[in-house]
Amino acid sequence: MNGLKKEIKMGREAILESIKKNKPELLTVPEIKKEIFAEDINVKEVFKDNIVLVGGRIKEINIETIDAEIKESYANAKRIVSTSSKTTLGTVSVTKNTDPHTLEDIDLAIVEGELGVSENGAIWVTADTSIVRALPFITNDLVIILDKEKICLHMLEAYDKISNRDRNFGVFISGPSKTADIEQCLVVGAHGAMSLTVFLV
Amino acid sequence: MKHSEKAEIFNKDEAKVNWHDKALWYVREKRDNSAHKVKGWEYLRELGSGIKANVLSNLDEYLIQFESNAKKNGIHVHWASNAEEHNEIVNSILVKHNAKKVVKSKSMLTEECHLNPYLEKKGIEVIDTDLGERIVQLAKEPPSHIVLPAIHKTKEEVDVLFQEHLGTKPSQGNPEYLVSEARKHLRNKFLKADVAITGVNFAVADTGGVVVCTNEGNADMGVHLAKAHIACMGIEKIIPQEKHLGVFLRLLARSATGQPITTYSSHFNKAEEGKEMHIIIVDNGRTEQLSREDFRASLHCIRCGACMNTCPIYRRSGGHSYDYTIPGPIGSILSPGKDLKKYSSLPFASTLCGSCSNVCPVKINIHEQLYKWRQVIVKEEKQPIIKKAILKTAGVVLSKPGLYDFAGKSARFALKNFPKFMIYNKLNAWGKARDLPEVKNDNFDEWFKKRNKDG
Ligand code: SF4
Repeated sequence: MNGLKKEIKMGREAILESIKKNKPELLTVPEIKKEIFAEDINVKEVFKDNIVLVGGRIKEINIETIDAEIKESYANAKRIVSTSSKTTLGTVSVTKNTDPHTLEDIDLAIVEGELGVSENGAIWVTADTSIVRALPFITNDLVIILDKEKICLHMLEAYDKISNRDRNFGVFISGPSKTADIEQCLVVGAHGAMSLTVFLV
Repeated sequence: MKHSEKAEIFNKDEAKVNWHDKALWYVREKRDNSAHKVKGWEYLRELGSGIKANVLSNLDEYLIQFESNAKKNGIHVHWASNAEEHNEIVNSILVKHNAKKVVKSKSMLTEECHLNPYLEKKGIEVIDTDLGERIVQLAKEPPSHIVLPAIHKTKEEVDVLFQEHLGTKPSQGNPEYLVSEARKHLRNKFLKADVAITGVNFAVADTGGVVVCTNEGNADMGVHLAKAHIACMGIEKIIPQEKHLGVFLRLLARSATGQPITTYSSHFNKAEEGKEMHIIIVDNGRTEQLSREDFRASLHCIRCGACMNTCPIYRRSGGHSYDYTIPGPIGSILSPGKDLKKYSSLPFASTLCGSCSNVCPVKINIHEQLYKWRQVIVKEEKQPIIKKAILKTAGVVLSKPGLYDFAGKSARFALKNFPKFMIYNKLNAWGKARDLPEVKNDNFDEWFKKRNKDG
């Protein structure tokens, strides 16, 4: 183990040394001219279209009806984890210390998204809102509740908006889990959630 | 075996080759549609290229910054000069956690380091969890494409493979059924895994975090269930600031599959409480490539696979014909840097049509670098060897002497004219009838010069 440590150290010095020797002259980082990407579009409508494009469903609803809406979409869901205070449908409660393995047979997870991205239908979900990091992935189906005012144009804007955060774990989710690895046939539901429904409130 | 010989094997099943060709071209078209929808796409590519150029010019500083920020977040950072060191480091982490079962999500780097056989010899179960990777793992083959690892397999072949290894029922290759069975099979592996290994798409210097992009969710299923996460990255994966992800994530999936973004773009900055996160930074020949001015830009590559999808040779010869971890046009620039002799035929496995450079999201001058390697190879390799390489690469065409008069002409002349006769000859190793992008009628040298002038 000691010997290995020494080698690792050598690896670091050797790599940095070699880079120093071989790198080209310093070039500047290009400045990003965001105005080039500016577009006068209805971000909410484009966002909705893109959610459908990536295999998800989306519905704009009145917050009061959220429980009924979710029930209608997922009538058979029994084991439900909700980390959102906007719905009362949760049947399994979780804390930060919940062993994710116990969520193996969760039917439905309901989490809140923090930000939507119009250009690709992606929604920013963090460890703080999903409480258990594995939750949005291990669940059979996923519902994300998103404030309709929180949709931005593109990814550059998105990174501006999330720049001040506690960096632990965060993920942009765009649609349900999918694969095209068998003869390029798109199949929804690979390892993660089999379906995604977004409720804009 | 040279590229052309392997290509000939792949070409034996003509129907399959035609399918392969069309399927990849379809992915290429999806890329076009997707790119055209983005306002400022060309500017986006320029930014991608410019940021990467800056990264290479300041790589040591960025790596140091990355390391220090990652450490602040409790991440363990390791450095490996080569594949052996990388594998040893992985093993030492597994030993520390007494790990016997490992789930891996797609990582071309661990493929490059031959991590799986190394760990398997030590009695560790390593499961590739990306569906395409799992398919080729069961078939005991390497991936044939960096984004679509099992693109060379028909659904019927997958069906048989799954029957044998997963005990599935014959389904005549029903993709839904096969995916649902794979889901069950791999869930079980995720739930039992001790440690998860992932690749890295981007490592951010100013935050010390890494981003991993998947469509299936396999990286997350692995990482969030296991006790420890090992993320393996080449030194070139660094980007300066988090906001630059805004450039690269816009480019990556659109160039790869035509999706506007992958389903999951996961940002790992800190391990969960009670768990561990490790990052291994790997050189393995990259600093050497950095020293080669003409080929340096190949380190810009973000592994989208677009150059493969568009390449007429790749599409008709399949990824395995390249016999290198990264196949296709980009692999043909990277591989000679690793072993000039072994891979001397790869820079010739190209029509130099430039389509790869045109689609590359980070504007690597791929076909120009291929041409430059040819010049190096002609100079450095002994002439008989090089003649043989050209002969073989040109395939059937030169095995029929009447078709092309090679005698009395220097290898250099052949090189110059190589693209032309390859394109216009119907009997070559890459298939008999194919649609090639339009190529200029000029002598290649002239065309090449003109192209350079036009920028
Ligand atoms: S060289 Fe360019 S097109 Fe090819 S895989 Fe790399 S980034 Fe993509």
